[in-house]
Amino acid sequence: MSEFEYLRNVTVGQYIPTQSIVHRLDPRTKLLAALFIALSATSTRSALATLLLVGLLMGVTKLARIEVRYVLRGLLPAAPFIVVLMLMQLLFQGRFSVCETVYVEWWFVRLTPCLIELVILGALRLVIFLFLVSLLTLTTTASHVMHGIETLLAPLQRIGLPVHEFALANIIALRFIPTIAEEMERIAKAQASRGGDFGGEPWWRPDRMARARLPLIVPLFVNTLRRAEELIVAMEARCYLGRKGRTKFVDLHFTGLDWLVIGLSVLLWVVIWWTPWPTFT
Amino acid sequence: MTPIIRIENLHYTYQHEGRAVQALRGIDLTIEQGEYVVLLGHNGSGKSTLAKHLNALLTPTQGDVWINGWNTKDRSHLRDIRSMVGIVFQQPDNQIVATIVEEDVAFGPENLGIERQEIQRRVDWSLERVDMLPFRHRAPHLLSGGQKQRVCIAGALAMQPAVLVLDEATAMLDPLGRKEVLEVARRLNKEQGVTIVAVTHFMREAIEADRVIVLHEGRIAMQDSPRALFQQRDRLRALGLDVPHVSELAQALHRRFPFFPSDLLTPAEIAEAVVACCDGSGGSPKSRREGKSKEKEARSEWVGAMDGFPSPAPFSSPLLSLRHVAHYYMRSTPLEVKAIEDINIEVHRGEIVGIIGHTGSGKSTAIQHFNGLLKAHEGEVLVLGQNLADPAVDLRAVRRAVGLVFQMPEAQLFEQYVGDDIAYGPRKQGLSPEEVRARVRRAMEAVGLPFEEFKDRITFTLSGGQMRRVAIAGVLALEPQVLVLDEPTAGLDPQTRRQLMRHILDLHGQGVTLVIISHNMDELAEICDRIYVVAEGRTVMAGTPAEIFSSAAALRAIGLDTPDMTQVAEALKAHQLLPENASIYTLEQAEAAIAHLLMERGAIPAETLANKQTE
Repeated sequence: MSEFEYLRNVTVGQYIPTQSIVHRLDPRTKLLAALFIALSATSTRSALATLLLVGLLMGVTKLARIEVRYVLRGLLPAAPFIVVLMLMQLLFQGRFSVCETVYVEWWFVRLTPCLIELVILGALRLVIFLFLVSLLTLTTTASHVMHGIETLLAPLQRIGLPVHEFALANIIALRFIPTIAEEMERIAKAQASRGGDFGGEPWWRPDRMARARLPLIVPLFVNTLRRAEELIVAMEARCYLGRKGRTKFVDLHFTGLDWLVIGLSVLLWVVIWWTPWPTFT
Repeated sequence: MTPIIRIENLHYTYQHEGRAVQALRGIDLTIEQGEYVVLLGHNGSGKSTLAKHLNALLTPTQGDVWINGWNTKDRSHLRDIRSMVGIVFQQPDNQIVATIVEEDVAFGPENLGIERQEIQRRVDWSLERVDMLPFRHRAPHLLSGGQKQRVCIAGALAMQPAVLVLDEATAMLDPLGRKEVLEVARRLNKEQGVTIVAVTHFMREAIEADRVIVLHEGRIAMQDSPRALFQQRDRLRALGLDVPHVSELAQALHRRFPFFPSDLLTPAEIAEAVVACCDGSGGSPKSRREGKSKEKEARSEWVGAMDGFPSPAPFSSPLLSLRHVAHYYMRSTPLEVKAIEDINIEVHRGEIVGIIGHTGSGKSTAIQHFNGLLKAHEGEVLVLGQNLADPAVDLRAVRRAVGLVFQMPEAQLFEQYVGDDIAYGPRKQGLSPEEVRARVRRAMEAVGLPFEEFKDRITFTLSGGQMRRVAIAGVLALEPQVLVLDEPTAGLDPQTRRQLMRHILDLHGQGVTLVIISHNMDELAEICDRIYVVAEGRTVMAGTPAEIFSSAAALRAIGLDTPDMTQVAEALKAHQLLPENASIYTLEQAEAAIAHLLMERGAIPAETLANKQTE
């Protein structure tokens, strides 16, 4: 384990080419399926149904020939947020609980079975969203995701939304993530070689934490701005003058399988919506 | 036929910190279709500014630039001009817009509004021209520098330009990458008739050109064929440029033996000139045989030159040693890669050790073990007698003892004032303000930056070479016993490069042990006591420069360059003029060896002739 490998634990945004059936789906299919799974997760208040969705995602991960463990490890950095969210709900949501049974009541805190279900549900939903995003990026190259979004949202261009610019900016951002992460790593190592250390400041002094990180942040910004300037010149040199008159090289097309997957994910949403899942509320 | 590029009285002035800077002051230049032109000049000579005028990225403050008859000031022809002149810049990373190689190549044609089938055809064609077709679905960040730069060239080619401008496109590449890019440029020029305008400060690259143009302070200072131009060594030196080593050798020999041609550019030409001389002055079998016995003497002479180097004391324990070190990136993820697998390096006190290997060989990973930035996954790292695997070792003390200067260290500066940036390390160490000041002063003076003059200068307004010296001073302020430098002179022009090397050698004179990673074989050949060769994560060779560079074929097999003089020696060996085991790698050695060869064939040195005449 190295203290300088920043890219290692970030699975979101990384593509693992296993050439599975999931990888071969059209990016628009995967985006739409992800949308309907996310809709399903928000349209049920049953922890059981939500757990089923988690199981489904694990199945898809297997189908994509990616280790579930690897995806879960990518979710670890989000764990503190999930825990904080659960705690907040546990402390403050009890008063609005509609359940009659009350396990504990102390000052403003009220613990009821409905509340416990709500807390678990909230955490599971977050896990599902993150899982979806990870799975999408693990099985789809970033540029395909963006081309998918660009094509799906293309109709909005007509009402003046800068869909193309948004997609291009995102593709460029994605393109530079590994470059800038590498650069960050190199700067951190260089400053460490000069006796710098990052961390060790007390957490109640965010000002000091920020100042200690200036040797990382200043060069990173300076270099990134320089990169941006050079990129603009390089793009202009290649005749980029905005969206007008541009054609597109990437060609997306649906197959029967794509239509099937989209149909199934809509069906999933409807089933989850209509089934009377058992809940406490 | 109208020239493809015509420039008349081009002036360009820009504002920098409230001052008007005259970057170009009256350039007149015509370039014909199919020419291969090299633009030389030191940093700030205006050569990149000129390059940017060729596709209307900049337009003249005064004067005109016509591309294929279109004036660049006429914005209605912007697309025509920019698709007519493709340009590739220094940093491949900052030119690639897409996350997939073929999508990036398609970017230009997309902007031109070309149909999908035609784009596909052009992408295939362009990638084929630069030998990158097998990589079409790769992510650019997984390619080597040379490969990335070839993708950028393909991106320009996909617009079907008549002119390709390479704006220092090889400056950031290793020798292999540089060779790849130049090979592609040459092929495009010869086979496709693409006009090439290459901006560079590698003199060796100018040899390929039909015409070399030297810029100085915004004006054309010299303009000639490479053969004629490189004869004017002193003039070029005065303009802050170098002469290729082979030309320098030819001229040195010409001074001693006036019949020896002075305008030679390649090792093969040198060998042929020696052969021609020998044939002319009695290459009879008898004298050949005599020659053989004398070669032995000659060889001992060159080996003798080696004895001047301090060899490592075999009994002293090394300051640094890596033994069978292996390291993995992204360990225990599906993306795990073995960066190095068996590295063995020893550095003794007072040595200058060189490490060579092409990009991706693992040499940068290896040196990060020297100060504990990376921990060995296998094997052992000993620094000043301490095993770094021991958790009790104080890594900060190790990092102070072993100063590590990264590639392009100027990219890590962060303080507004030079003095503060250099003081970062000593301050972190908790030294008194007086001690910090004293150390900053010593460090600055060691790299040739006068303390009073530079300590309050704003870091980001310095020149590239000065910023690099500030960054090195930032490490020197820790007063390390060993200084490890990764590519210290990469991207600098010849003059700045020479200055920096002199300062680095001065440090060695003051007792600092040096470890230098470099692609510049000539530089290493001159200064190192010992050299390690790293390939595919292993140390595959180790020895004195003489030992390493005598196996030129082995070096080339792993994709490395050899010093120019080694190539000269090889050319001579190919004509059986030198024994197979003769080791030559510096200019002095080559000059001595060839002079010896010429004299034993009956040539008389100029000074002897002069003496005879006066007698």
